[in-house]
Amino acid sequence: MNSRGSGGRSNGTLPQTKICQFKLVLLGDMAVGKSSLVLRFVKGQFDEFQETTIGAAFLAQSVCLDDTTVKFEIWDTAGQERYHSLAPMYYRGAQAAIVVFDITKPETFERAKAWVKELQRQASPNIVIALAGNKADLAEKRLVEYEEAQTYAEDTGLLFMETSAKTAMNVNELFLAIAKKMPKTDTQNPTHAARHRGVNLQDPDAQSSRACCGGN
Amino acid sequence: MAVHSAINGTTAIPWRSSRRKLSLLEQLRGCQEAWCPGAPWDREGAHAAICGTPAGSFLVVRDSVTSQPSLLCVSAGGENDPVLDYNIKSINKVFQLSESRLSFSDLAELVLFYSFTRDVLAVCLSIPQCIYSVTDKNKNRLSQLEPKMWLCTPPDQQTDEMTHREPSIVMCSIQLTSTNGALCVINPLYLREHGDDWLTNRATGTQCAMLPSNFRRERRLTTTRTWAGAGIHTKRAISLEQEPSAASTESSGLTRAKSADSPQCPLTASPPAVPTGVVLRRPSRDAACSQENRLSTESLTPPTPLNLGSLSGTVSEVQHHGSPVPMSPHRVSWIEDGVWQSPPRPSSLLQPPSLELDSLSISSIEEEQESQMQSSTIHHPSAHRLADKVLHRLSAVSQALGGLVSQKKRLINRVQELSERKGGAFTDNVKGFIEMTLKCGVDSERLTGSEFLQEVRSSLTSLRETLLDHPEIQTVLDSITDLSDLEIDSLVELSLHKVALKPVSAHLYSCIRNSRTNDGTFERLQSNLRLLEKNKLAELGGSAGVGVPDNVTLERIQQRWTSMHEAYSPNKKVQILLKVCKSIYHSMSANASSAGTVFGADDFLPCLTWVLLRCDVVTLQIDTDYLMELLDPTQLKGEGGYYLTTLYASLYYISSFRPRMAARQLSVEAQNSLNQWHRRRTLHCNQSRRSKNRRTFRRQPSRDRGSKNLETNTESNNESAKGNDSVDVNSEQQPEGTEMLQPLTEERERGQRVEDESQMSNPALDHHEQGTVVSEQESRQSVCAAEGQKDYCK
Repeated sequence: MNSRGSGGRSNGTLPQTKICQFKLVLLGDMAVGKSSLVLRFVKGQFDEFQETTIGAAFLAQSVCLDDTTVKFEIWDTAGQERYHSLAPMYYRGAQAAIVVFDITKPETFERAKAWVKELQRQASPNIVIALAGNKADLAEKRLVEYEEAQTYAEDTGLLFMETSAKTAMNVNELFLAIAKKMPKTDTQNPTHAARHRGVNLQDPDAQSSRACCGGN
Repeated sequence: MAVHSAINGTTAIPWRSSRRKLSLLEQLRGCQEAWCPGAPWDREGAHAAICGTPAGSFLVVRDSVTSQPSLLCVSAGGENDPVLDYNIKSINKVFQLSESRLSFSDLAELVLFYSFTRDVLAVCLSIPQCIYSVTDKNKNRLSQLEPKMWLCTPPDQQTDEMTHREPSIVMCSIQLTSTNGALCVINPLYLREHGDDWLTNRATGTQCAMLPSNFRRERRLTTTRTWAGAGIHTKRAISLEQEPSAASTESSGLTRAKSADSPQCPLTASPPAVPTGVVLRRPSRDAACSQENRLSTESLTPPTPLNLGSLSGTVSEVQHHGSPVPMSPHRVSWIEDGVWQSPPRPSSLLQPPSLELDSLSISSIEEEQESQMQSSTIHHPSAHRLADKVLHRLSAVSQALGGLVSQKKRLINRVQELSERKGGAFTDNVKGFIEMTLKCGVDSERLTGSEFLQEVRSSLTSLRETLLDHPEIQTVLDSITDLSDLEIDSLVELSLHKVALKPVSAHLYSCIRNSRTNDGTFERLQSNLRLLEKNKLAELGGSAGVGVPDNVTLERIQQRWTSMHEAYSPNKKVQILLKVCKSIYHSMSANASSAGTVFGADDFLPCLTWVLLRCDVVTLQIDTDYLMELLDPTQLKGEGGYYLTTLYASLYYISSFRPRMAARQLSVEAQNSLNQWHRRRTLHCNQSRRSKNRRTFRRQPSRDRGSKNLETNTESNNESAKGNDSVDVNSEQQPEGTEMLQPLTEERERGQRVEDESQMSNPALDHHEQGTVVSEQESRQSVCAAEGQKDYCK
């Protein structure tokens, strides 16, 4: 319901597609760019698939894939060591996870490996895990080699991309790759009905409002 | 000039003659270089120029690389106040402030809008006086304006000028009327072509506002007007040029609110106002009517100084919670006409279903709490009116968006009635539930707090099912055609809170209190609180430069927690929680050392923890437990679920804090907590009302058996053995025939929504799939409605 959006956009234009909704959790050390990555993804999309949220720790964004609209509900987690034990509360029930590390900081890559291990042990068995080597724009400071991460990802069965939230490199690609990997099921999204909720012409009292929008 | 021609069935309104004065929008466009200068102007330069200028003075700074407008710098007014920065996003030639959802097709429109309406800004933008006098003929003067000149005019002097100008084109096109819940959107092309003078231009005569012109700033805060569509025919039939005389003689069809759009007082005989109309909205028919009455009274009796006094009182009250408090974003996009009379209160304080929460920023409704608080602290005589207004606004929001209110009211009333009807089955069920709940928990040592609450939750779900099965409720529901099953369930859930949860909520609190006292949580919370409360944000892991709430905000947050505790409906509690989180976010960026940063969980969790350490954590723990267990499971997803999880996590962090413990080690407590977490989220099921094999309250015992069995297993087995539980439950229940589907649904719920898919064995899933594919077609559709990740829903 983008009724606070730019207003003039026609509402009913969304094609009658399947709508799938997924919970995606973001894991990774502090300051590796988890939120920046997601913000870049969310801000780069068309407005009409964007939902307003109160802050950046939880974001919702839909992407269109062929005949399917994939809606991600993105749960960010705090990367500090001290909050590590809280993470299971967040990744439980998640169908996708992005584990982010900073290519200029090898310790964040080690931490990412630990996250992957934990996810594979404790999270949903079908969870789609993507590994993102962020800050790829800082190539001159690189301390984690692409091949190293790539090999690791292959061995553990992860999606892998090097990304840059700053330049937007591979950001959309990463989310699209995840979206493609998700099992698609038509979930008959409840918001679909809500979207078409509009003027109730049956209501006898609707007269006045009809007068205003009827254009004559 | 009153030429009307019908074009495509619409009445065309002729353009004014070329000798017209330029509209404010055109004037703004003409001098864009002045307020949006290119290089070498940057943020620092703009700040230096703006600093010390009156509040609202602004410049737009372009990005040094792309030279796209990127930052709106606004003076907060004081000599020492920092200049406020707002990021401007431009996507596909659409401009918007990054904190707002309103977008504009050009920058001048954006600026003009924010000069009328604060929305996310701390203050309205001020447009200097000098550009008002520009007409077509001397418009080249505009292009010669420079930023320094742009900033030099004190905005206070603009007021009179401003009110003498002709109306400018209004650019935003959302037309919301909340009456009947109809959402009416006007084609922006029509407005672009013809303006919306036909909507906004009329009520400047007799019904003209009594606000003195120096209330312009206040007026800006109340941009939305009431507006009665019924009057539109008359309005349209009259030429624009006839006003204001036509307007003054025409009194019948006009019910436009005076306050917002017509700042000038008839006593001062000012010419028509600039329409501030951007978002037109009408509160509700009732409110409009009461206003109409008031207006007609006023038009009969010329305003006296006394009237003015009372009005300005109201206005300054609005102002009080509005513009001078730069820290509170104030969304005028929603109804906030400061002077309408108390609308009839909604029959219930139950909030709109939180299905709207996920998709709707609550920013638009966030202020009512504040206004209530603030108006009470200043002891203004009409404080209650504001509170009413605010309540009304809330309902208007839901009304405008959902078109639900009348049906919702009907539903809530009907449920209430059903619960009081003598001898009714539902009455007995509710009574039974209340009695059982009140009795339970006191004498039962056997149950932990959360187990008890889980039983309450499942009883609530059963009561809801009973309601959904009830013929009278079905009749009401059948008249609601445009809601999904999930939304309907949520609506019924809300109406149930009042009859079932309200009478027992105090008792539930005391049960949680006992249970948490017994398990030592409160003690740990309080002792760790003492340990941690001196910690700065950085010591809690927050990164440098993140702001924390100031004392005023903190106090407001504490008050909100109090009102959260007072609310008995979990949905209402979540709404308040979201408001608190939003104000924390606001403090984080408003008090941050660098502007424009967007904060994720790395910073939010420490900041929330910092806030919690300054609040009544014991009561918060009670509310969190209450929410965790009693919130309708469908509401546990989405934004509400996220922030509830974060609140829970943060409290857990405090209560389990050990200074020297290796953080990575998952403590025994954490493990236990996770088990609890698992259990609480797996027991409840949300079933569609359309599902064939609905379980009703009467069948409750057998289901309880199943649940308890599951719990016992969960407790006695370790994690790895849990996978079998679901199978056990199912096989146990299969002989019950018609009820066999229920546990399967439950199972699916567990697998889908909740957690611990890891503990479900796939063979079991496959087995269920085959058994249920056909027979559960319907229930699956709704059950799967939100999350469709499972392979078994092919």
